Amino acid sequence: MNQPVPSLIHRSPKTLFPYLFTALFLLAFIDSWRRAGIEPMVLFAAKGRGNVWKFLSGMFPPDLSWNFLSLMFRPTLETIQISFLGTLIAVIIGFPLGLLGTHTLMVRGILNEAELQGVPVRRSLRYAIYFLARGVLSLFRSIPEFVWAFMFVRAVGLGPFPGVLAIGVAYGGMLGKVYSEIFEGVNDRPLEALQSLGANKLQIFFYGWFPQALPNFVSYTLYRWECAVRASAILGLVGAGGLGQQIEISMRMFNFNEVLTLLMILFLMVAGVDYLSARVRAML
Amino acid sequence: MNSRTALKTCETIPLRGGGRGGKFGAKNVLVLAATVALFVWSYRGAEIELTQLFSRDSVQQIVIYIKKLIPPDFSAPVLHGALKGTIETFAISFMGTLMAVGIALSVVFFASRNLIYSGLLYEMEPKQGWKRTARMLPYLAAKSLLNVLRTIPEMVWALIFVFMVGLGSFPGVLALGVHTGGVLGKLFGEVLEDVDTQPIESLQATGATRMQILFYGILPQVLPQFVAYTLYRWEVNIRVAAVLGLVGAGGLGQRIHIAISLFLENQLLTLIIAIYILVTIVDYLSAYLRRKVI
Amino acid sequence: MNDLQQQYRLEEVRKVFGRHQIALDGIDLNVQRGEKLALIGPSGAGKTTLFRLLNCTLRPTTGKLWLDDCDVESLHGKRLRAMRRQIGTIYQQHNLVQRLKVVHNVLAGQLGRWSTPRSLMSLAKPADLGLAHKALEQVGIADKIFERTDELSGGQQQRVAIARVLVQDPEVILADEPVSSVDPTLASTIVRLLIDISESTRKTLIVSLHSVDLALAYFPRVIGISHGSITFDLSPDKISEAMLEGLYAGNDREQPATEAVNEPASPIAYPSIS
Repeated sequence: MNQPVPSLIHRSPKTLFPYLFTALFLLAFIDSWRRAGIEPMVLFAAKGRGNVWKFLSGMFPPDLSWNFLSLMFRPTLETIQISFLGTLIAVIIGFPLGLLGTHTLMVRGILNEAELQGVPVRRSLRYAIYFLARGVLSLFRSIPEFVWAFMFVRAVGLGPFPGVLAIGVAYGGMLGKVYSEIFEGVNDRPLEALQSLGANKLQIFFYGWFPQALPNFVSYTLYRWECAVRASAILGLVGAGGLGQQIEISMRMFNFNEVLTLLMILFLMVAGVDYLSARVRAML
Repeated sequence: MNSRTALKTCETIPLRGGGRGGKFGAKNVLVLAATVALFVWSYRGAEIELTQLFSRDSVQQIVIYIKKLIPPDFSAPVLHGALKGTIETFAISFMGTLMAVGIALSVVFFASRNLIYSGLLYEMEPKQGWKRTARMLPYLAAKSLLNVLRTIPEMVWALIFVFMVGLGSFPGVLALGVHTGGVLGKLFGEVLEDVDTQPIESLQATGATRMQILFYGILPQVLPQFVAYTLYRWEVNIRVAAVLGLVGAGGLGQRIHIAISLFLENQLLTLIIAIYILVTIVDYLSAYLRRKVI
Repeated sequence: MNDLQQQYRLEEVRKVFGRHQIALDGIDLNVQRGEKLALIGPSGAGKTTLFRLLNCTLRPTTGKLWLDDCDVESLHGKRLRAMRRQIGTIYQQHNLVQRLKVVHNVLAGQLGRWSTPRSLMSLAKPADLGLAHKALEQVGIADKIFERTDELSGGQQQRVAIARVLVQDPEVILADEPVSSVDPTLASTIVRLLIDISESTRKTLIVSLHSVDLALAYFPRVIGISHGSITFDLSPDKISEAMLEGLYAGNDREQPATEAVNEPASPIAYPSIS
């Protein structure tokens, strides 16, 4: 981890890389600067300054009236519900796909050596399943949850439902990939021992694989749940329920004090979820 | 990274098992019950039901929608637009990440405890209360600044900046930069706080100033990890940049917004394919660079 | 009749990892049922690989391996598992699942007999507590039955691994360096325990040992292995000091020699090559 800067090692055999990298970096920088339309002065010009001031001063004091807070109660709950159900669906999607996308389990590895040698058909079938699972996972997680949400809104209508689906699909892809990494990191010596005493694949899974993977597995799922709370809070921006919808409305109405209140609610909610998941982690 | 280290400490906590089954202490049962209750309540409280979720009706709707998406529209103007949007998205994520690094680097040294007020570097300093407090103040300020930046999601930042500077890519860059700046600040701070102290100790023993220690003892240790984290966040940002346009902050998202609003499903699929390709390329690029650095 | 007595028959068995890493180089070996034999040799000689071939984890790259007069080449799926069930292995690194309780690790020996649902139920509520207890008592750590395995010392874990084999009740017991992580007195206790088990139930026992003394003291047949091939296969009284020295010292001499092949440098440093 704490390696010294390895520039010497890299530079001596391949002298080209640093120069090429610098040139490409500069090129990307200049082009991106132009394309992204970066004008730092806009913020400080009269109009920008006015807007910044309007926004900052408009935020205070936050709207803590009971009237507004009681209205926000339901969207807050909805946000948590979306995140919870979304993560659940993500696990349901990610777990089996993650298993099928685990190289040590499906293709390589000591566990298959005695099985696969000289059986090319079975071997290529396993490879096909493995690549298919990987491909589906990569597709699911490469498309941002916002785009999923937007499409699901179109497909099944407004409300929390598309939010749940969006989080389920997008996070299912992420969970699946990380699950397969966790499974690949499992120490396979105990698995070899179990195999050598005649256990079948499922038994090896439950006696050796699963207990070893469980803490990382739970911990990462909880982490994704924390992320899902944040995501579901803002998925409402595209009409998928939860707090996001309220944030957008308040923003469009220039009620910045409400925005501040909503951000505070968001902060408390996220902190609460972080606390809860930290407690569950400590139990492992 | 963070969760990994957290895990390590979790694993060392011994679990005492009494009789068979044994690990169901009162506390665990409570947390478990809370989780189950939360699930039941999520299930019943929302207007969502799992049965409805997987009902024939909604599945049918999704299938119909998928049918509408196919085939993707590969006509020249659409492709041209997608390409332009892709490059713009790349530019936004690139500039946003760079801005984030700038923010993080300018704040993080104040936000790491061992550099600013306690630990080895301050072992021999006078322990008077007010001096310590004076050193602590910038620490607390930096920490809370990073927290604020991090807590507000990118999309909300984007809304705010769209209001401040108008529509376009620039508010997208600002939103990414500010939020990611908070995230990277936190990650960098963690790296700085568990830096290996032995080289620092030996440098300090030679009489080096804190600035010299920073450049000779600390930065060489942490830079590879800084770069790794930056690349990791870049991967995240490319995905975010692709959707910032949904709230008016440029890039592919804007085109997606238009395509969805005007029911141009075939164009939408083209744009989604563009996102997929862009994200995959950036993932590979980032993985490659990370291997180079570490 | 004589054939039925045959437990293992190896003919010209070679195992090559990757392309060039030769772990075993032509092993010929016959093991009778109920025989007790010890393998000795320097580390890296291929003992562990031989064990993994013997317990059907790996297949020989070339050559034939018969187990109970059954060519392992022909085994797949169910029959392979059934064969594995007859072979109990005690590993050098114990190969226990650290996060499971001792009782589950011990009862894992039953997995070959249990149905999958039954083995799942057992994780919730140990299915055969008496059996596990008896096995642990036999190795002297019955009080640890509900501890988590990672809380045990190395020697205790080794005994858990032996208890697992006891529960498995196989026909053959393979033990790869079973005493490398315990102190000398315990080492001879464990070796004697293994021999007792083998004698009382007429199980075949193959043990690899670092300690030559233990091998010579307890085993009627001792096999020396170095560089992936068998150098001697004799009863202990026929093994001379010179043979042992050759077995281990040969290792020291050849190691630099193979390096020297890559380095065209000084023939003076390694006069033995020229």
